[in-house]
Amino acid sequence: MKNNIRIYLVGAKTALASRMAYRGDFFMSMLIMLLVEMAAPVITILIYQNGATFPGWNMYEALLIQGVFLLGKGIAYPFFFGIVWNTIERVQNGTFDLLLIKPKSVLFMAIVTGFDAEDLGKLVGGVTLFTLALSRLPAPEPGAWLQFMVLFTITLMVMFGYGLVLAGLGIVWIGNFRVYEIFESITSFGLYPTAIFSKSLQTIITLVIPVAILGSVPATVLLGRPSPGTLGAVGVSLLFLLFSLGFWRWMLKKYTSVGG
Amino acid sequence: MLISVKNLTKVYKTYQRGSSFKETVKSLFVRKPLYVHALKGISFGIEKGELVGFLGPNGAGKSTTLKILTGILYPSGGTVDVMGYIPWQDRKKYVAKIGAVFGQKSQLLWDIPPIDAFYLNKAIYVIPDREFQRIMAHMVELLDLKDVIRKPTRQLSLGERMKCEFVMAMLHQPEIVFLDEPTIGLDVIAKDKIREFILEMNKKGVTFILTTHDLSDIEHLARRVIVVNHGEIVFDDTITTLRRHWGEKKIIAVSTVYPLPDLTRPGVTVTKRISDYQAELELDLAVYELNKFIALVNKSSTIRDLSVQEPPIEETIKVLYKT
Repeated sequence: MKNNIRIYLVGAKTALASRMAYRGDFFMSMLIMLLVEMAAPVITILIYQNGATFPGWNMYEALLIQGVFLLGKGIAYPFFFGIVWNTIERVQNGTFDLLLIKPKSVLFMAIVTGFDAEDLGKLVGGVTLFTLALSRLPAPEPGAWLQFMVLFTITLMVMFGYGLVLAGLGIVWIGNFRVYEIFESITSFGLYPTAIFSKSLQTIITLVIPVAILGSVPATVLLGRPSPGTLGAVGVSLLFLLFSLGFWRWMLKKYTSVGG
Repeated sequence: MLISVKNLTKVYKTYQRGSSFKETVKSLFVRKPLYVHALKGISFGIEKGELVGFLGPNGAGKSTTLKILTGILYPSGGTVDVMGYIPWQDRKKYVAKIGAVFGQKSQLLWDIPPIDAFYLNKAIYVIPDREFQRIMAHMVELLDLKDVIRKPTRQLSLGERMKCEFVMAMLHQPEIVFLDEPTIGLDVIAKDKIREFILEMNKKGVTFILTTHDLSDIEHLARRVIVVNHGEIVFDDTITTLRRHWGEKKIIAVSTVYPLPDLTRPGVTVTKRISDYQAELELDLAVYELNKFIALVNKSSTIRDLSVQEPPIEETIKVLYKT
């Protein structure tokens, strides 16, 4: 474990050094990431400033949900979600083989070599929005913080699960970066309070596809009004993680390399 | 036996795609599977310390063999035992003991110096500091890389990059190193340096398995050659035997004082008649002895100059590829 952390840190350091070789591009990319991710909160603010609301939620409560969602992405994208582009790109150009000749799990090597420095912009955005929204709301109880920490850990596990599924698809669905768009479309429901959707959609994004766990479920415990079906969402999330691990292994077995 | 391969087969499933627009659109909905038999039951063994060259035309099965031996691919059938490991089953333990250089796939990181990539390998292979410094210094000296390893990879020449790939592959002191076209695109000087390095490491007991299209790599390095074609081994012996495989032929270039007569006869083929006084021939020693031929030419035309050479290995290989 200690050695794996050391490898990860060396990998992250080299990825950062690599990205910082072009300073202008690095800072621009970070800024663009930050601005792109801020689009949804800005729209939310505009909606509330024009008198409309998400029924039953004030602006800062809605922004907190989006803050949690962006914080989850902000941690996932730079630190482990890079397995998606890293796998797709490597399978396409044949360098995925190089991960298989290292004495570590392929998944671990895909994470180490997929550290995505420019996505740190998302993390900055997530932390900023989360802190800003929370500062305008009543301080949560210590118990609520504890529940939030548990649920947010599950959020990150689900993000990891999505990463595994998308990266696994990249092994057989060669060169298809559209998987990002599929992922963004599915998970965009997580940006809003689950309660604003119809009952059937609430059930789907809570108990079938783990989307509500990405924002609404952990944020609502901080707000002291837990989403209905929180326990079910936790169960589905854990099952999804197991499924995604199995899916990744299955896809890995299908890997056929490229001619050479 | 360090490497033992028995009846190795590999079948790839691909899909047929049409070339016309109509066929391309059709292939979006209906695809016809195509089974490619990349390896058709090959068997061979390699001893510790050997330097074996794999030759074969494109698509012959060389790289597939190498990928199975490095644990990258699962075979469809057969058995492989390398140092007591089954590469694709014991992958993590196994690859810690091997190294690989892929001439067309870089392990270096484009925008940062090779030394940073070396440090990443140090962490992955858990190489102690002192040992890492010692091995790196030794390889840097052998490959003449002192001023190179701290420059960004993108600023290095192809030869310098390839030398750094060798350092990457060998920092953890592997017992076997697989080389897939390691000298592709390199100039003569870089090739020579890399060949010297391989021979030096081979002397120290490292086993090398080399696939290449460059026959001079094989001639300079490999004592044993395995020729693969259409997924089968068509030759497995020494390079000397390979030369003799299709008869003991010599290439003769002769120039004379007086005009040459017609030299065509059983065992003698005139390949190029440059002038009345100069010609190139192929002599089959099994049919016509060299001393008899020299006597014949000298008597009829008085030899001014004569050279005897081995036939180019390419010719022999071409014949093997056509079988």
